[in-house]
Amino acid sequence: MNSAVTHRGGKLERFSYDDQIVRLFIIATVIWGVVAMLLGVTIAFQLADWHVNFGLKWLTFGRLRPLHTNAAIFAFCGNAIFAGIYYSHQRLLKARLFNDMLSKIHFWGWQLIIVLAAVTLPFGITTGKEYAELEWPIDILITVIWVVFAVNFFGTIIRRRERHIYVAIWFYIATIITVAVLHIINSLEIPVSMTKSYSIYAGVQDALVQWWYGHNAVAFFLTTPFLGLMYYFVPKAANRPVYSYRLSIIHFWSLVFIYIWAGPHHLLYTTLPEWVQTLGMVFSLALWMPSWGGMINGLLTLRGVWDKVRTDPVLKFMALALTFYGMSTFEGPLLSIKSVSAIAHFTDWIPGHVHSGTIGWNYLLITAILYYMVPRLWNSKIYSLRLANIQFWTATIGLVLYIVSMWVAGITQSLMWRAMDASGKLVYPNFIETVIKIVPMYWVRAIGGTLVLTSLIIMVYNLYKTAKTGSISSEPVLEAYALDDSSVEHGASAHRKLEGWPMIFAVLSLLAILVGSAIEIVPAVLSKSFIVKMDVVKPYTPLELIGRDIYIREGCYLCHSQTVRPMAHEVLRYGKASEAAEFVYDHPFQWGSKRTGPDLARVGQKYPNMWHYRHMYDPREVTAGSIMPNYKWLFTDKADYQSIMKKMNVMKTLGVPYTQEEIAGSFAAAKAQAEIIKDDLVAAGVPAAILDKEIIPLIAYLQRIGVDYGKSEAQQ
Amino acid sequence: MKEETKLHVQEDEKHLLLDHNYDGIQELNHPLPSWWAFLFYAFIGYAVIHFVYFQFLGGPSLRDEFKKEYAVVVAAQEEFKKQEGEFNPETYAKFNTPEHIKKGEEVYVTNCVACHLEKGRGDIGPNLTDEYWLWAKGTPETVYPIVFNGVVDNGMPNWSEVLSKEEIYQVVAYVQTLHLTHQPQGKAPQGNKVE
Repeated sequence: MNSAVTHRGGKLERFSYDDQIVRLFIIATVIWGVVAMLLGVTIAFQLADWHVNFGLKWLTFGRLRPLHTNAAIFAFCGNAIFAGIYYSHQRLLKARLFNDMLSKIHFWGWQLIIVLAAVTLPFGITTGKEYAELEWPIDILITVIWVVFAVNFFGTIIRRRERHIYVAIWFYIATIITVAVLHIINSLEIPVSMTKSYSIYAGVQDALVQWWYGHNAVAFFLTTPFLGLMYYFVPKAANRPVYSYRLSIIHFWSLVFIYIWAGPHHLLYTTLPEWVQTLGMVFSLALWMPSWGGMINGLLTLRGVWDKVRTDPVLKFMALALTFYGMSTFEGPLLSIKSVSAIAHFTDWIPGHVHSGTIGWNYLLITAILYYMVPRLWNSKIYSLRLANIQFWTATIGLVLYIVSMWVAGITQSLMWRAMDASGKLVYPNFIETVIKIVPMYWVRAIGGTLVLTSLIIMVYNLYKTAKTGSISSEPVLEAYALDDSSVEHGASAHRKLEGWPMIFAVLSLLAILVGSAIEIVPAVLSKSFIVKMDVVKPYTPLELIGRDIYIREGCYLCHSQTVRPMAHEVLRYGKASEAAEFVYDHPFQWGSKRTGPDLARVGQKYPNMWHYRHMYDPREVTAGSIMPNYKWLFTDKADYQSIMKKMNVMKTLGVPYTQEEIAGSFAAAKAQAEIIKDDLVAAGVPAAILDKEIIPLIAYLQRIGVDYGKSEAQQ
Repeated sequence: MKEETKLHVQEDEKHLLLDHNYDGIQELNHPLPSWWAFLFYAFIGYAVIHFVYFQFLGGPSLRDEFKKEYAVVVAAQEEFKKQEGEFNPETYAKFNTPEHIKKGEEVYVTNCVACHLEKGRGDIGPNLTDEYWLWAKGTPETVYPIVFNGVVDNGMPNWSEVLSKEEIYQVVAYVQTLHLTHQPQGKAPQGNKVE
């Protein structure tokens, strides 16, 4: 095994790789993979038929969707990344992982985080920020475990026996550094209790930070580590040299530098200042080629061995994954063009796009590296190539059904939303008409998702049998020469030299991602002119604040947006276009990213209290054909009035101008406002016992959304 | 498992093989594909031009474009109001037929039941089946403007922004068929008795 190192005079050392930790991460990957996809399939069926939550509050879409995304990204992909990185990192550096204990802490700590996610999110313990829903104690744990990972990773680099770091490791470095920066900055929040906190950012600022994070979670959790894995496993499995070292350099640095700017493309047509939106769009376009650089380098590495792609499952899944990567990284820039976003945003096209990346790229690539590692780590060979083949086709057909159904649903619904007749009226003024039209597509998607889940289960069985027929041998002892000056290449290019200085490399990666981050985010947080203030907009009353927390808990933002874009058809459907100043007290912002139901930015005072009462109990009572779940527990569970003073205090700390008297009297004020709503409902025949239930504050909040400016005389 | 270790290198790329070796992985140094390099620089160039045009050289903002678009819609709506805001008995006669009334019922079920309930027995909105009226007087010519313009204070929407002229006449004709049917479980009377 040591043949690759030319002896230049260093001391010959003996060592072994820690493969046990890789096996553990592999086992966790497949277990969480099944859980994540099972959750995905469940919520897909819930959209096709709302009954699928069985009337249980912890199984409703709003609570399970965050669990699905967290499980898929951080549990399934996360464990796979750690397995693949720990496997390849040791081999690329000819060094055992820095510290076995840190590896174990990393593994068990990460599983603990996932378990904590699974026991908090279904209970509505959430920050209400997409892809960052976990509450503050878990956020801290994530930070600690990530640091453990980083120490273990960079410690291994320090003890390496290979002078230069390979391109896979460049991508790993960018991943570790950027994820740390993103997670910490986006998760800044002030606790109210162990299970509740408020984001320190509000409204537009929160939206910007959140989507800078959200988009780069895709970039630096689902893209860069996987590109790194691709760079290790493709040439290994194909026994081919990587196509172009030069392309690796150019596409790595351009990808890392450009990706970080692209987040605002999630906020086109919102009240985010337009120069930031434009930056998000043009950087997304510029990102197309850097993304494709990875695809080209992967696919062209297979030059001359395409016959093996037909038979070897590792290469077959790799090639398909790279193809879907190419497709989604073309679709992404396309969707970032303002006029395309105008059509696609808030529709099902977006989940379709996301899944062509997560299923097409991440899941298929994970499959490839598992088929590579499991036979080697368990001294076996793949149990059944036929099963791998069946998995391949089941996954592909399932994914195509998913993507195509979401294109059809998204574009159909969007065209219905915007259809206007010659007299300046919406052709489909009732939102529900546009929902009913696309429900058949939700069935197709759910079936596609089920096929993908089936394909995963086939793989789990195949890998289980593979491991079962093999055995774990003791770690082989390897030999390599210690690093000394003799391996320094004289007259090497600047980049080649840099590859010999991994810590400087890491600092430069950090700088590369900080440039775009700083230019986009610093003005938002510091500049007073970022948002033009509006006097009519006042903070929420105590009761409305309680209601807002129920809204966040139930994950309403996952199906309802709260921002009216400046487009004629939106203004006709919802009311005045939103203004940045309306959201200055929204910690966190609740704009959402999907309109499975209508926008709620102007819902306040649009309907009587009784309408909301009925609608929350059974949406079909007031909207025939609605696919929204029933929220019957809001009519039996008592609202939490006790913590309101604490909440108001935290809000004041965050800059919401509550007076001391308002805070001191918040409990009484909330109760008094509840009485008014109760009286109104009682007049319509509701029993007075409703007074202390959760529905009351929720109605208070819903009736307040968007009213201050929406009902004011101000012209848009 | 037995590893196949021989590296496949094509004849035409042997000269591009670099002296890099990581766990057996080697690298070629192909030049950047020309189409790739072209698009890479082209999009960076486009990004600069686009940003400068829209942010510094007076390219229209999203709000500018919205204002233009919205003005056209408002003009179309005003034209519609001007033409159709007044009740026209002749038009109404055309729509007061069984088949239009059936269509009117569909319009009613989609838009009105949320507040007036089925068959107009009233709930959030008033009962439409008794002889008491808040604003209209029970006749088509008095119901029409209420549907067309809405009643802001009572939460009755301005349906002219939603329904077409045909739909408004159809639904008014349908509501006429409910008048004085005194549906069971109807809402208590509101407003003035109209004899």
